[in-house]
Amino acid sequence: MIMESRLSFGRWEAITLLLNTICVQIFIDFPRVMAEEGATAGWLLVLYNSAIVFFIFSFILKLFLKFEGKDLLDISEEIGGNVLRVIVGFFIIIYFAFILSMVLREFGEGMQVIAFPESPLNFIIMLFLVGIIAGAYFGLESIARFHVLAVPIIIIGLLIILLSVTQYYNFSNLFPVMGTGSYNIFINGFHRISTFSALIILFIITPFLKTHKDLKAVGFTTIGMAAVLLTVTTIIYLVVIPYPVAVESFIPIYQVARLIDIPRIFERIESVFIVIWTGSILLYLSVAFYFLVYTFQKTFKLTYYRPLIIPFAILVFNFSLLPDNYLSTVHLEAKYFSNFAWILAFGMTIILLGVGNIMKNKRQKGTGESD
Amino acid sequence: MGNYLDVIKNLILFKEPERKETFTLQETSFDENQKENEKTVESNKRPTKELEVQRKHNDLKVSTDEEKNMKKDKLKISKKLSENLAYIKKIYRIPTNADVVIRKFKVVVKDMSVNAFMIFIDGMTNTKVIDDNILQPLMLLSNLDIKTDDLDIAKYIESHLITHNQIKATKKFVDVIDEVNFGGCGVFVDGLDVAFAADVKGWLGRSVGPPNTEITIRGPQEGFVEALRPNTGLVRKILKDEDLIVESASIGKKSKTPVSILYIKDIANDSLVEEVRRRLNNIHVDNILDSGELEQLIEDVTILPIPQTIATERPDRVASMLTEGKVALIMHGSPFALIVPCTLPELFHSPEDSYMRFPYVNLLRFMRVVGMIVALLLPGTYIAITSYHYEMIPTDLLMSITATREIVPFPAVIELLLMEFAFELIREAGIRIPGPIGPTLGIVAGLVLGQAAVAANIVSPIMIIVVAIAGVGSFTIPNFSLAFAFRILKFGYILLGAMAGFLGIAIGLFLQGLWFLSAKSFGVSMFSPIGPVTSLAFYNDFTRVPIWKQEKRPDFLNTKEITKQPKISRKWLNKKSGDGDDNGE
Repeated sequence: MIMESRLSFGRWEAITLLLNTICVQIFIDFPRVMAEEGATAGWLLVLYNSAIVFFIFSFILKLFLKFEGKDLLDISEEIGGNVLRVIVGFFIIIYFAFILSMVLREFGEGMQVIAFPESPLNFIIMLFLVGIIAGAYFGLESIARFHVLAVPIIIIGLLIILLSVTQYYNFSNLFPVMGTGSYNIFINGFHRISTFSALIILFIITPFLKTHKDLKAVGFTTIGMAAVLLTVTTIIYLVVIPYPVAVESFIPIYQVARLIDIPRIFERIESVFIVIWTGSILLYLSVAFYFLVYTFQKTFKLTYYRPLIIPFAILVFNFSLLPDNYLSTVHLEAKYFSNFAWILAFGMTIILLGVGNIMKNKRQKGTGESD
Repeated sequence: MGNYLDVIKNLILFKEPERKETFTLQETSFDENQKENEKTVESNKRPTKELEVQRKHNDLKVSTDEEKNMKKDKLKISKKLSENLAYIKKIYRIPTNADVVIRKFKVVVKDMSVNAFMIFIDGMTNTKVIDDNILQPLMLLSNLDIKTDDLDIAKYIESHLITHNQIKATKKFVDVIDEVNFGGCGVFVDGLDVAFAADVKGWLGRSVGPPNTEITIRGPQEGFVEALRPNTGLVRKILKDEDLIVESASIGKKSKTPVSILYIKDIANDSLVEEVRRRLNNIHVDNILDSGELEQLIEDVTILPIPQTIATERPDRVASMLTEGKVALIMHGSPFALIVPCTLPELFHSPEDSYMRFPYVNLLRFMRVVGMIVALLLPGTYIAITSYHYEMIPTDLLMSITATREIVPFPAVIELLLMEFAFELIREAGIRIPGPIGPTLGIVAGLVLGQAAVAANIVSPIMIIVVAIAGVGSFTIPNFSLAFAFRILKFGYILLGAMAGFLGIAIGLFLQGLWFLSAKSFGVSMFSPIGPVTSLAFYNDFTRVPIWKQEKRPDFLNTKEITKQPKISRKWLNKKSGDGDDNGE
């Protein structure tokens, strides 16, 4: 950890890291979930959620002003000492462990169905596990740099898929514009801001970013780019696959890719995109796993994080195999992730920062009066 | 067995990491570095008890060797010639050493005949220079009446009798011995506690010729040779700049191989030069013969397959990199100079890139990247497609592949490994056998064996195509060591492709990416300028901009002077310009 304390990375590294962490859901089930929640207005729901997150982040940013260079754990320690730091750390660890296990299982199952029907699920998950163990071993610096290289390629790959199915575009699929109604979108759809819950990583990497300005630039750029990518993907998914079918499809973006038809060169081009999907998922998993062990290390003030890698990898592997099947995994994720992730990422952050600000103001007033 | 158990134990159990000296190239001035070094020295002065015990233990180990060297260094020349002669004979094991020559003679100094002797190593010296410029003046010209007021005999001999351009008078044996060992000669005169060491190098060597491994169509056709000074001279011939510094160092307890550190004082980052110096001065080996060995001793990560220095035999390439702000190492006995730091994109550059017009270079660079991808991934991808993703292949092609594979008794991966193994054998054999037989071997082994293997139904024709294209792809990589790295990694991708298709290949790419991205060469990330992103990332490393647009030096080198040329370097485009006063805009 000697090197880690000196680690700092640029804006572009942070933006690509967060962008992939948020947008990886495109490759899992995001377009389908949006179709389920907002029907033909799924894309509107994404825009609505993005706008809310934009305002929440602006508010958080103001609260962060007095805590430049400090992350959530540092702030919680400042407010409530070791006890609060451990409690906050515990919640973040649970968040990462849960989401990591679920994504590992979902993508493992998806991969098995798409390309490896004869391979056991354990084997596929273990392959991913090798990747994330290596990611954690090489550290955040390498992972962040890898994002700079890989994320543009992943985005280009995604755009190729979306643009290769132009012949199936049917914009009448987007009607009725308000889908199942404005109540469903604006009230019931609020909790879907959990899509952006990965922004919690931004509140953990603040010590690695140089200034408050960097935090601001990284946050807004990420939210903007993620909003565009998520909205475009949802729109194209909805215009290509009609609503009744859209809510049923398994790994939505794969279903879109299956429609690609480049005759006489490749019959079924979608297999090539396995590389891109796997790349995106591996990056996401290694980021989540790194922050899982990093948060544990920081919460309990351990000197090294590397001894934690193997035990945590075994834990995550076991957690991922706990749900009975793919459907129960999706159900678990829908039940807990979308309902509670936003509370942790935004609610807890605002409360911590708010209390922190009040305490700082009081202290400043106290010192001012005593002077 | 014990070793294997240790490896397994290390994989499972945690061991406190060793504290290694790490170096990151940063924008700090030399003074700051000095201060930091002083701080670390001070902190080292207060070691923990444990460290102190360890240090004492280490000190005990090396003390005998060091004492020996200290004695040798301090030993002074005696006034008695017989003592000096005895010492020299003892040091050089004369008469066992047949090529060490001791020539006794008499010198006339101020009407006195004095005994003297000379020592040199036959075969390393220029005997004509010894005869004409040292022996003849001492033995014959000393009889002439020389008008001088010099009373000191040593000075008199140095100033009036030895008519040689490079001579030094010394009181220490070690100076004379070092000179003699490196093609010089030593002259001892009775009654003097001073000896004369003259540089009379004259060994036979290769003359400057075209480089063997970096052949270009455009550009200079000179390559380094095995001698140090001609090599540094070749660089100086290109860079006629007084700020070009050629520092000397010596490596190897026995070989004492001279190494020159070359850099441009007002461009190169001081901390980089200091780091190079530190690494060179802290190499403790008995002998070092080639820069290939030096490369292995100074590189950051031993296990990384890609090279972390650029080895070149072209003086023009060294000169060009020095002007970028890099540091070059030229070693006596090696026709390859090492340039540090090095990045992965630079390993794809050919020396010719600077001499050709930029559209051609961009095409060539693109082709090299394609070649690299093909060499690395094609065999693995073929296995992945034929084993897992056959739905990708158009039905007609799939039928023909299946038809050719039907009669082959092995699984595709075994077939491929057999072919790759055969290809590597042919490549290795082609290098080892004498020149004229090489092409014959290529034809016999490559064509005849390939044809026969297909006819015998051992391999399918498409497999031959895959292996051949991957082989050709690896030849497009300009750096010899880098091509090696990708050849090794290719086998990993074959196994991953056979194990898990595209998923395996994606995981392989992920692991390789992380590995390469974590690597550094002299404090600079191997993936610079994109990992980490520095300004002008795509400026001249991936693509190449026209020569008049190459205004800046690489940002990751943190050079003292970032601008290489003014924004408008072609002043003739400006109608109003006079004689081209070069003052920026």
